[in-house]
Amino acid sequence: MKEENKKGTMHPLSIVTSQLVDIFIDLGFEIALGPEIATEYDNFDSLNVPKDHPARDMQDTFWLKDSPGKVLRTHISSMQVPYMKNNKPPFKMISPGKVFRNEATDSTHEMQYNYMEGLVVAEGLSVSHLKGILLEFLKRFFGDSADIRLRPSFFPFVEPGFEIDVWTGKKWIEILGAGMVHPKVLENGGIDPKKFSGFAFGMGIDRIMLLKYEIPDVRLSYQGDLRLNQFN
Amino acid sequence: MKISYNWLKWYIPDAPDAEKLVDILTFHVCEVDGLENLPNGDVVLDLKILPDRAHDLLSHQGIARELASLLNINFVDPRPNGDSSGRATPKYKIPESKPTNLKINILTNKDRRHVGRIVRNVKVGPSPEWVVKHLASIGQRSINNIVDATNITMFDCGQPTHAFDLNKVEGVELNIRDAKAGEKVTLLTGEEKELKEGMIAICDGAGNILDTGIKGGKHAEITTSTTDLILEADNFDPVFARKTGQALNIVTDARKRFENDLSPELAPFAMMELSALIAEMCPEATFEEIVDTYPQKQKEQKLKFSLAKISKILGLEVSVIEVGNILERYKIGYKNEGDEFEIVVPPMRLDLNIEEDMAEEMGRILGYDRILGTIPKVPARNASSIASAGGNETYAKIRAARAKLIEDGYSEVMTYVFCDKGEVEVMQSASDKKFLRTNLSDGIKESLKLNKLNAPFLGLSDVKIFEIGTVFLKDKPARNVSSIASAGGEEMRVCYANKKEVKEMTLEEYCKAEPDAFTQVLGSPGAQPRPDHEQKHTGSASEKFNMWSLFPFIARDVALWVPARNASSIASAGGPEGVSSGEVLEIIKSVSSPLIVRGPELFDEFKKDGKISYAFRLVFQSYERTLTDTEVNEVIAQISNKIKEKGWEVR
Repeated sequence: MKEENKKGTMHPLSIVTSQLVDIFIDLGFEIALGPEIATEYDNFDSLNVPKDHPARDMQDTFWLKDSPGKVLRTHISSMQVPYMKNNKPPFKMISPGKVFRNEATDSTHEMQYNYMEGLVVAEGLSVSHLKGILLEFLKRFFGDSADIRLRPSFFPFVEPGFEIDVWTGKKWIEILGAGMVHPKVLENGGIDPKKFSGFAFGMGIDRIMLLKYEIPDVRLSYQGDLRLNQFN
Repeated sequence: MKISYNWLKWYIPDAPDAEKLVDILTFHVCEVDGLENLPNGDVVLDLKILPDRAHDLLSHQGIARELASLLNINFVDPRPNGDSSGRATPKYKIPESKPTNLKINILTNKDRRHVGRIVRNVKVGPSPEWVVKHLASIGQRSINNIVDATNITMFDCGQPTHAFDLNKVEGVELNIRDAKAGEKVTLLTGEEKELKEGMIAICDGAGNILDTGIKGGKHAEITTSTTDLILEADNFDPVFARKTGQALNIVTDARKRFENDLSPELAPFAMMELSALIAEMCPEATFEEIVDTYPQKQKEQKLKFSLAKISKILGLEVSVIEVGNILERYKIGYKNEGDEFEIVVPPMRLDLNIEEDMAEEMGRILGYDRILGTIPKVPARNASSIASAGGNETYAKIRAARAKLIEDGYSEVMTYVFCDKGEVEVMQSASDKKFLRTNLSDGIKESLKLNKLNAPFLGLSDVKIFEIGTVFLKDKPARNVSSIASAGGEEMRVCYANKKEVKEMTLEEYCKAEPDAFTQVLGSPGAQPRPDHEQKHTGSASEKFNMWSLFPFIARDVALWVPARNASSIASAGGPEGVSSGEVLEIIKSVSSPLIVRGPELFDEFKKDGKISYAFRLVFQSYERTLTDTEVNEVIAQISNKIKEKGWEVR
């Protein structure tokens, strides 16, 4: 009865983020947080997205005024090369955080998103390992009946690149982008691609939240509205 | 890109039906955004061609060749000397050509190849029915036979082409040169554009600008009175095409193809196709010789790869026979010795550069479903510290702060990073809010207002909220946000608010002010297990979101007196302690109404003069309409009656 003793409620994005992160912690991943303002080099060039290349159109970018060459990161991948420079392989890293896209908003698009990316670098990693880790993750999150499906895709910083679908027991849902780290990206991070290989994957936490709770509109997330906090 | 199924069938008559193609493309080539059955009987597939395949797949022939190789079905080569199995008639009847005096001068390195020819005695008019149909299927409008022929050529083979009215071109020559800043050109659309450095101008002998490279000009436009043409197929530098398109705000199918980089080897093919189409449409036309200006021929690329490397990348044993078979189906010349392959990269396949590209090629063609998942043995570094919030101090603090605030009764909100004023501004935005927040308090105050209005709906008497997030400050070094340096001034903050105050501080300050909650985190980052008061979340898929009604709610209180001691009737459920709140609750609940969305909830209780006062709150709302007082009053009246029937006193 007494309000003072009543616990507060958590935002569903935080609940989902914690769930995702905890699964990867249990799988032995370290957490790294990246900055939300990134250099053009970290966000694009170091990831095989050269200036004046159509691949830049894949992401509508917020450029900072009066700060040439700085952007609001369009993806968590902007920390791949800095992280590689600061950490010697083998490593397994996961990074949750906010990313920004300069696009008109609707029920499935926002200008700010929460994303999570993983990066694993070691000797002898293959697509089979990427598939194995992600299937394990998906089973822990969606339940034992979860299955995984890879489709060809393209992200300049991986080769090969994939879109990944999960079988949730009812239907296939597109849930992750992933791929084997491009040897040039490893090189940019000071890692010898002849010795080491890696895989990276990323997922939209907002999207997973919408799917998990059947929330109809992604924009409900950032209204500061407590009516969203229904899941504690 | 829209692909007409009927058009595709020209080249691959044995193609599976369109629904099957969707699956085949999805798992071996690219995403399919849609399949539409058109009223004209055609089926159109909307393909999301990946940027690395935009060199060779932005065309019907490109898709047809890919599918023919992938599925090992016949490809009908349209060329007269094509290498088809002989079952189809060559589509292109190449007209005989006469000598020409057309002069082409490439004076810029932005045009890597120009293939031109003069055609005389054409009759501009409507297109044949098949042309109109093909164009309509992919959402293009028929203009006239000549313009349609250039468009058909582009959507068929991927190479943009253009036609000028020869009689509006002075001197039988084209000069393709760098543009001078300030030069003006009127486009086919009638828009006047000013050229800048880095662009090009395609001019006639008198210096009239006929074309910008990615969009034709008005000067030599084809009209119904046109009789003679200059046809051209250029290969432009991709960066030039992109920059020109961006600067002049020109979005054309030609720009899209050029900026993705086309092989210059494609241009003569397009000229042959365009000529054949015009010959078909205008049987009286005469064709002059092709003038091919190609300063630097595309070099032949070879690519070596080993099966061991490909198998290692994929985690799948790939055999010599499988690879050889794929290369033959894709008509890729190769040498093989033991484990090693060397291929001659087809000129259009600008995406094949390194061994990893071949791993992708083999993987997608064989099918990624053949690769089985295995868990790699990558040891966790610092396993003990990872157990605590992943071994990251900032992350551990964020989670501990969140847990502490929730424990203290605060609920979490998230607000927008973008706002009306601030220190860091973005250059262009899809919204009118161009600044990044310098504090969390402004957003929290707005949130507080909103949630106070909804407090009865939420069942809260005091709204207490918090946010943990980044703020952006100019000329301030980044703090606490990450282990990696930020390129800007970011700070991780905690802000919480209740009816008395709004407090905002850095995450660090918050942790210091609440030392008990953070001893573990602060003492030795990551060395301890997760804070006790933080629940470990595990996935549970059963919870579903309930969207609230967008109509206003009405909150009503029901207050009543009941006897504190029940002396008069021993049989009453009141007992020696009087009537319980639970008993009253049951009575109120016996009145049911679909309009009650919350409650009844007891929010007040006190004893006075041998009586107990209870107060319950009910919240009414409809998903269909704004409720009226009358409707709510009716329900309250029913409740009051029930209370009176019990002999209790409504206040």
